[in-house]
Amino acid sequence: MILRVEGLTVDFRRQGGRGVVRALDGVAFSLARGESLSVIGESGSGKTTLLRCISAHVAPDAGSVSLFGVDLGGADRSRLVALRQRCALVPQDPYGALPPSLTVLEAVMEPWLLVRGGRREGEARARSLLEELGLGEELLSSKVRLSLSGGQRQRVAVARALILEPELLLCDEPTSMQDASTRGEVLEMLCRRQRAGMSMLFVTHDLFLARRAAARGIVLHRGLLVEEGATGGFLESPRHPYTRALASALPRLSPLIDGSG
Amino acid sequence: MIEIRNLSVTYARAAGGEVRAVRGLSLTLNKGELCALAGESGSGKSSALMAMPGLLPAGTKVEGEILLDGVDLLAMSEDALNRLRWRRIAIVPQGAMNSFTPVITVGRHVEEVLRVHLGLTGRAARERMDGLFTSAGLDGTYAGRYPHELSGGEKQRAAIALALACDPDWLLCDEPTTALDVVTQKGIIDELKGLVGSRGLGMLLVSHDLPLAASACTRLLIMKDGELVEEGAPAEIVARPRSEHSSELVNALLRLEREGAP
Repeated sequence: MILRVEGLTVDFRRQGGRGVVRALDGVAFSLARGESLSVIGESGSGKTTLLRCISAHVAPDAGSVSLFGVDLGGADRSRLVALRQRCALVPQDPYGALPPSLTVLEAVMEPWLLVRGGRREGEARARSLLEELGLGEELLSSKVRLSLSGGQRQRVAVARALILEPELLLCDEPTSMQDASTRGEVLEMLCRRQRAGMSMLFVTHDLFLARRAAARGIVLHRGLLVEEGATGGFLESPRHPYTRALASALPRLSPLIDGSG
Repeated sequence: MIEIRNLSVTYARAAGGEVRAVRGLSLTLNKGELCALAGESGSGKSSALMAMPGLLPAGTKVEGEILLDGVDLLAMSEDALNRLRWRRIAIVPQGAMNSFTPVITVGRHVEEVLRVHLGLTGRAARERMDGLFTSAGLDGTYAGRYPHELSGGEKQRAAIALALACDPDWLLCDEPTTALDVVTQKGIIDELKGLVGSRGLGMLLVSHDLPLAASACTRLLIMKDGELVEEGAPAEIVARPRSEHSSELVNALLRLEREGAP
């Protein structure tokens, strides 16, 4: 197993010490090498906290995360650094995720230079990733903080996460700011990496994207794992009332032309 | 009826030069109809919306005609426009849910509009306010709450209540459900549809989300690079898109809806 999550529970203390909010409540699932999983949930479901536990940015109050066979709870700092180099995160907010003073090319190369070194190869990899993501040559030398839309920043964050060729990619709503036309390109690129052996945890609130990204998925609602199974099933035959509500509220084009859906 | 004829909107860039956001746009809005305007970011849809109540930034070049029952809004004085805003044309601007003043209750926001634009105060204002919150799917107790005490969806509903304060003929909504969960989103869209039916107002719903726009409206418009590329019944456009852009967009979305797992 590349990832094993058991009984994961995280409490956040309210401001002023008035009680706690349980962000994750006994969540358990596992992921085999080369397998991908969609994590479906809306605001407050705990999906971002889950990713932060797996990337060892949040320590759980109960339960455990084992990444590449290593229990994160017992790992020291140098061990965690080594694990994070094999597992990259595409954070939800592309505005906070990138060093604003770097150029696009530098932002993508930075992890490579820090971990592997070798400027020439780093630059070649960065250029190739950015091209694959449809970011034009003219953007490469512009500063991240200037003249980049949210969607473009997200694509830069994806390239930055992929440059070290992670074994596991953690994506937190990585296409939320893309227009429909570029969203497909980003997803296709991630799927190519999956076919080449990369595992992925794809967090989204959109059941269609969840199905496009992975065959299997889990649905989180208020910190609880309420449904687990084939992502296609969440759309066609959702079992939990919350999954049903998500599936029926999702706007679609197809019923307009074939009356089904 | 609102008729936009050959509208162009050109912004002056801070660094010099110009950006033409809307290029020769013509469209008609009818009372009692929910018309949706879809398009990707930068397509000019918000510029077109904000041009109607005359709320584009100072220094913006606006050409063409925007006729409200035959009277050109672009030729009107600021005072005359101010008498139309809220009372005839109201807007729910982009990011409305984050635009409340944090230190006063949502009810105070509504009271201010009622006082300034309709001269209503005291009991008359309070009675009207209750009805407004109800129309937007909230109960009257929300008037006494501060913005931070409301969820995103509730704040968006409060913004709709505010826009309805002066019983407008036209309601222009810019991305009214963006950043909200899909279940909340559906509730708000259903509320807006209901308002068109119950109040007979004319509504323009601007959204980057084509499935959302198409399933909410009875007439769909799609903009691309400042121009209108589609107009018609949503089912017709989805079945037979005319422009290359909308054809690609529709096909990509249909593929996502129909394709199985990887």
